[in-house]
Amino acid sequence: MEEKNNKSSRRQFLKKGLAAGAGVVAGGGLIAAYVDKSSAETGEKVKVLTTTGEVMEVDRGHIKLPRVSNEESHKGIPGRKFVMVIDLSKCKNARKCVEACQKGHNLPKSQEFMKVYLMQDSEKAAPYWFPKPCFHCDNPLCVSVCPVGATYKRSDGIVLIDNERCIGCKFCMTGCPYSTRVFAWKHYKEFEIDKEPYSPEASSPGKEGTVSKCDFCPDLIRVGKVPYCVSACPMGVIYFGDIDEDTVTNGTETFQFSELIRDRAGYRHLEVLGTRPCVYYLPPVERQFPVESGFNGLEDNVKNRFNNTQFVKNLKK
Amino acid sequence: MENKITREQLLREFAPQLEKTSRSAYIWIFFLLGVIGLGVYAFVTQVTEGHIVTGMRDNVVWGIYIVNFIFFMGISYAGALISGTLHLFHTEWRKPIIRMAEYLAIISLLIGPCYILLCIGRLDRLGYLILFGRIQSPITWDVIAISTDIFGCLIFLYLSLLRDIANLRDFKELQVPNWKKKLYSILSLGYTGTPEEEIRLKRATDIMAAMVIAIAIIVYSVLAWIFSVTLQPGWHSTIFGPYFVIAAVYSGTGVLIIIMWLFRRAYHLEKYITKKHFVAMGILMLVLAALFGYFTFSDYLTKWYGSEKNDESLIKILFTNYYWQFIFSNYIGVLIPLLVVGLPKLRTINNITISAVIVVVALWFNRYLIVVPTLESPYLPIQDSRPEWVFYNATWVEYSLTAAGVAMFCFLFTIASKFIPVIHVSELADPPEKEQQLL
Amino acid sequence: MKDRSVYLKVLWILSIFLFSVVVVLGESKPEATTPPETRMTISYLYASNDTVTLTAGIMVKRETGPTYLANAVIDFFATGGSDTKKIGSIKSGATGTAILKYPVKNGIPRDKDGITTYSASFIGKGPFPASEEKISAKLAKINLKFNSQDSVHNIDVSAMEIEVNGKENPVAKQTVVLYVQRLFSLLKIGEVALDDAGKGSLEFPHHLIGDSTGVVLVYARIEDNDLYATVQGQNSINWGIPKHYFTAERPSRELWTPIAPVWMIITLLVMLTGVWGHYMYSVFQLFMIKYNNKGKNP
Repeated sequence: MEEKNNKSSRRQFLKKGLAAGAGVVAGGGLIAAYVDKSSAETGEKVKVLTTTGEVMEVDRGHIKLPRVSNEESHKGIPGRKFVMVIDLSKCKNARKCVEACQKGHNLPKSQEFMKVYLMQDSEKAAPYWFPKPCFHCDNPLCVSVCPVGATYKRSDGIVLIDNERCIGCKFCMTGCPYSTRVFAWKHYKEFEIDKEPYSPEASSPGKEGTVSKCDFCPDLIRVGKVPYCVSACPMGVIYFGDIDEDTVTNGTETFQFSELIRDRAGYRHLEVLGTRPCVYYLPPVERQFPVESGFNGLEDNVKNRFNNTQFVKNLKK
Repeated sequence: MENKITREQLLREFAPQLEKTSRSAYIWIFFLLGVIGLGVYAFVTQVTEGHIVTGMRDNVVWGIYIVNFIFFMGISYAGALISGTLHLFHTEWRKPIIRMAEYLAIISLLIGPCYILLCIGRLDRLGYLILFGRIQSPITWDVIAISTDIFGCLIFLYLSLLRDIANLRDFKELQVPNWKKKLYSILSLGYTGTPEEEIRLKRATDIMAAMVIAIAIIVYSVLAWIFSVTLQPGWHSTIFGPYFVIAAVYSGTGVLIIIMWLFRRAYHLEKYITKKHFVAMGILMLVLAALFGYFTFSDYLTKWYGSEKNDESLIKILFTNYYWQFIFSNYIGVLIPLLVVGLPKLRTINNITISAVIVVVALWFNRYLIVVPTLESPYLPIQDSRPEWVFYNATWVEYSLTAAGVAMFCFLFTIASKFIPVIHVSELADPPEKEQQLL
Repeated sequence: MKDRSVYLKVLWILSIFLFSVVVVLGESKPEATTPPETRMTISYLYASNDTVTLTAGIMVKRETGPTYLANAVIDFFATGGSDTKKIGSIKSGATGTAILKYPVKNGIPRDKDGITTYSASFIGKGPFPASEEKISAKLAKINLKFNSQDSVHNIDVSAMEIEVNGKENPVAKQTVVLYVQRLFSLLKIGEVALDDAGKGSLEFPHHLIGDSTGVVLVYARIEDNDLYATVQGQNSINWGIPKHYFTAERPSRELWTPIAPVWMIITLLVMLTGVWGHYMYSVFQLFMIKYNNKGKNP
């Protein structure tokens, strides 16, 4: 009698236990549908409708660009020589170029391929915001001093770094007079975002103990797009193009390069050093914004960078 | 016959150095090993956590490691130059100290390049320097030069040691472990001092002495060119080649004097290393101090007078942030030896050694002031809110490894002195050489 | 037994409680309560290859800002008079754009004036509401011809509108913009105002760079017109300067090339052989000492 009761209650217990468990599982499934914590580090998300009609947010980083092999990266895109023109009269330190570049190359916040300086050429001269990518010089000192050939200049003018060859001696960093290159002083977790095989054209994923820098985004060029900084700039400050084709574009406007330089007095920074850079600047005349507007909306650690400049010291007085 | 007796006398006198190790020597060795152990720990920290544990950042990419590298390579060349030139000129007073100079040359040459390895981001790819070396790069020139120099100094040292090893092999009263005796007999190549062997040895030694002098100058110039071919303000100087060579020999002279004093105390060599030797080295130091002061003055005068914008900002940094280091290294470091050796009243063994210590420290700071302030004043202003990215401050890792390098230097010297007497027995026992042709 | 039944009751109550908690949590959205809005944009291009290109972009406006909506099915329709034809259905890509290229020869409905209204519509999915956008256009085409008189190069443009019966009338008094195809974008080279006969002419610019044979691809467009929307014609001509005509050959032996200049290699070899030759000589002397002593006892 007792035994029979035991068996039936055990069966009942199991049934109810299973029911409870199923309820928990079903409820858990419902939770997963609405909690979108699948975000990866890049942060920019795209809303995607799945086949079941659910809403999911997919990280933009999952949109892949084709990558060429390491060997192919040594050859330039045939028949091209790239040039960049930066219009200093329009720059207001929005820093969208810096952020887009960091996102596109999976960089940590402390590494900037594109840097924006607050420059003032002399005491009485007017200050201006100065975005500085790598100049991809035609006489690159960084390439000359590399002992292992980890950095090289291609036929299309782009200077790339192969961080599978780089030994991290940092001679190239002392060789560059424009302080362009950055070093991976430790393993940053952002280096793990990119799962694709490494290509010097993408400069991603980064590696601890190697040097990296702005690469003019050849992986974007190969699919007919302009570099990240060019398309990200809200003011259209950065123009990019093929100097042999005599055309530069910022995504919305397209100009003939020679006309732009002639009409707007384009120049190269520190020309006297003899590096023959491939980035031209248009002087900051007829500015569209006052320099102070460049401090709007900046995080403190970025704003404090300029505390030692003459302009900020004058403002504080 | 006469030589042999003298040689045996010398060997009998120096044998205790090789046979016994006093307690203080053991304490000394253990202390050095402790410091080296700390250095190993610091190295492991650096390898596992990355170079972020050092003080180097994106602007000052070369810090104390490179300063130590230049420093150790520098003192090596002093050893090479001194032993090489003194050998070729057959000066009598050099005989007791030439062994120390040769040891100095090779030991610091083994330690110096280790500091470059510490500075390299990816040690697992060190072989690429040879596999993929680019001839146009000054670092490749340096790799070739340093390996040539190491090989040359080793050969030169071996040639100099050969006769002493043979003597030790023949010295029956020597009470050292059997393995040491076996080592002597293998390394001596069966040398017995026949005239034919002597001629061969002399020929080889003369050639290597000349080579070592030439290599020392070339190698250190290549090191200087690593800096001067870049465009950095403060480095892009035309006189860096000779300036570095002079500074190197100057610092090496100081180190050699310190070594002389230490071994004199430790092994009671007062009979062989006398005030005369200290004064002779002191005079060498005085001459080099004058030359070093001249080069430094010349370099900074041209930078300051022309007052190009970047040179000006560099000099400003030197005289604000690094004021005391600058005064110490370039003024005190030059004047003290001049005074101490120049004034007869101050010319004592202890004073000369103290001024040698000052010289060595001053020259270390001189190298620091060449490497770091330039990197802190680049063409594009450093605009960063993190102070460690603007100014360079070495961390415990770097200081530990510096101390470990010095400790390793002392350690290797101590070990070397336990194998072969630190004074060149054969040379000392040889009759004074008459006027001979140099070549 | 009594304990066991109490235990079972407690377990049952707990599981019901858990389930309801789960359901309640599941029902609640952790996000903002205002429903998202969708917005559609549409643009039209009729090019000389007789294709209508419709570009639709769909965006979602939320409190946190606008985002693209990917994987959304966008249906394209063409309406003329009372005829409506579905001409395509494309899924939007990662940037929310869906591009449809529809050959006109497949037939599009047109009203009596020859105007077709194209629409892109999204029927809505999940929390995203439906949205739709329309654009109207009449078929028109632009012809580009090149002629040169007395070494003056000219581009001749003529525009015609296409009526329902196939008759072509000139498009008068419109502005045609001329572009050349460049690597990333189109470079504007000028504007032409069409006369009453729908014709116009522009001088070909002198310093335009073409491809390696000097061929330049020229586009002529009527843009954002009320009646014709955007019409494009194209043609190519080899009046451009051949690319690389003036570019110097890139050097192969410099400081920064993979292979060093010859003089550097020679200098290095000379110095190395000099130094190591001396080394080998000294080592040889040592070997001779050892060799001579091999036979003797140590």
